[in-house]
Amino acid sequence: MTQYVIIGDGISGSSAAETLREEDPDAKITVITDEGEPLYNRILIKEHAKGKLPEAPISIHDEDWYEDRDIDLSLNTHVTSVDTEGKVVHTHDSGEIPYDKLLVATGGTPTQLPVENSDADGIHHFWTFEDARGIREHADEADRGVIVGAGLLGIDFAAVCGAQGIDADYLMRGDRWWRYALSAEGAEIMHEGMRSVGVEPVFDSGVDHFEVDDDGRVTAAVDPNGDRYECDFAGVAIGLSFNTEFLRGAGIEQDNGIVVDEYMQTNVDDIYAAGDLTQFHDVLLGEQAQNGSWGSAKEQGRVAAINMAADAEEEGFQWVSSYSITHFDFPFLSFGHPTRGDEHAERKYSDTEWRRIAFKDGKIVGGVLIGDLSPQSKFKQLMREQRVVADQAEVLLEQSVDLDELAPTQEQ
Amino acid sequence: MNMATSELQSRSVRPESAAVRLERVPSVPADATVRHVDQFETETLDAIYRAVTEDRPVSAAETDLEPGEVIVFTDYFRVERV
Ligand SMILES: Cc1cc2nc3c(=O)[nH]c(=O)nc-3n(C[C@H](O)[C@H](O)[C@H](O)COP(=O)(O)OP(=O)(O)OC[C@H]3O[C@@H](n4cnc5c(N)ncnc54)[C@H](O)[C@@H]3O)c2cc1C
Repeated sequence: MTQYVIIGDGISGSSAAETLREEDPDAKITVITDEGEPLYNRILIKEHAKGKLPEAPISIHDEDWYEDRDIDLSLNTHVTSVDTEGKVVHTHDSGEIPYDKLLVATGGTPTQLPVENSDADGIHHFWTFEDARGIREHADEADRGVIVGAGLLGIDFAAVCGAQGIDADYLMRGDRWWRYALSAEGAEIMHEGMRSVGVEPVFDSGVDHFEVDDDGRVTAAVDPNGDRYECDFAGVAIGLSFNTEFLRGAGIEQDNGIVVDEYMQTNVDDIYAAGDLTQFHDVLLGEQAQNGSWGSAKEQGRVAAINMAADAEEEGFQWVSSYSITHFDFPFLSFGHPTRGDEHAERKYSDTEWRRIAFKDGKIVGGVLIGDLSPQSKFKQLMREQRVVADQAEVLLEQSVDLDELAPTQEQ
Repeated sequence: MNMATSELQSRSVRPESAAVRLERVPSVPADATVRHVDQFETETLDAIYRAVTEDRPVSAAETDLEPGEVIVFTDYFRVERV
């Protein structure tokens, strides 16, 4: 009987556990998490923090779910190290757990700003359901906010402030939100979205230090220009540090995350990784890449489990990831790797509609759609087909995209 | 709670003719099943987008939408059988 151990009960770990049980009915499966609750919907916790969604619908599994599938679930259990020679996982206070095959699905932890008073009361980071509960409670009574981190997670704090009636300043280091993927025209649509919910974007700013009162509560953020922004609530989302400390000395190759091939195998036999923390070989991009999205993490967990159960390179991970922002009147969708590639095409259609497509070697590798999502499935299809289309960008920038207008693919 | 349904559960089989539409709802009861739009595959996302922007029913057979559940998109939308 094979013993599978999965570290992490996020969507990648949980999806792997479910697939392993389907693929290997007799195996022993253990899922270890340092959180106090089983899998919940991490992409809905922002709705709870906004004060809009009750707790119950955010839960995905209860403990019976694991029991029904004969999966051992260890809650509140922190893995401290892995002995890859002895094939044993060491935990903080639940002893040792032996494995034949191990999946590392431990995701990341939000990075703290390296500035004075960044751990003051009232300064929030956002990753767990517990974080969301704390944010909701505090946001309910806060009046003035500061947000730091001009990316996909920072904007969730802007939405929380908007929904909870907190007037906020969104301090950005550059001249626009998500400058790596959006031009000024695209970003301005998002800035208008922020303003519409009472959040003011502040450019060429950031945080030099926070000020606190005698009780250690945040009272202001001071930016590198010396400008002072009063606040009793702050949200910081400047990036993730991947949870891999427990792998120190285990010989697993890392490069800002765990390096895996398309089968989710690390360089160490019988150790796999899945989810946010992987640096995986992206077969569509032809390079190493990283995804930070729910759908991708779920699929990586499934693919890892298929290969673990087969003890073979049975199925490769091939996926076009997408990530939406749903806080404004208009939709926003980022797909693939919009910040990668060697050329791009973009167009603005109206005050709320903009499109950008990123190409590498003439093939689409990602993009951003604001306002009009109608071409998303066509672009994803072209990505999967790896069609060379950069020379026909005009067709792709038509408001209504018709793939029949593309010249037939040439035999390579 | 939504524990009976699995994240991996495949779509249920419905008659070809069944259609659903999306009804904007102001709030969500505690016993509702709720999914974020990023939990859906490309085809269902297309259908959600069409249903919302064109305000018309979409075929349930082509999608992964479950009548009664709430979808978090640019607003909260309940999936209603037509
Ligand atoms: C606020 C927020 C909003 C988001 N919005 C979206 C969105 O709109 N769309 C989208 O696609 N994605 C979104 N994401 C990203 C998405 O949630 C992640 O990509 C996905 O959940 C990653 O899953 P995972 O299984 O890789 O990691 P995680 O969900 O982070 O799970 C890892 C688990 O491992 C546990 N763990 C870590 N170290 C140890 C250890 N040493 N021992 C034991 N357990 C450990 C952690 O506590 C955690 O439970 C959002 C994320 C957040 C935080």
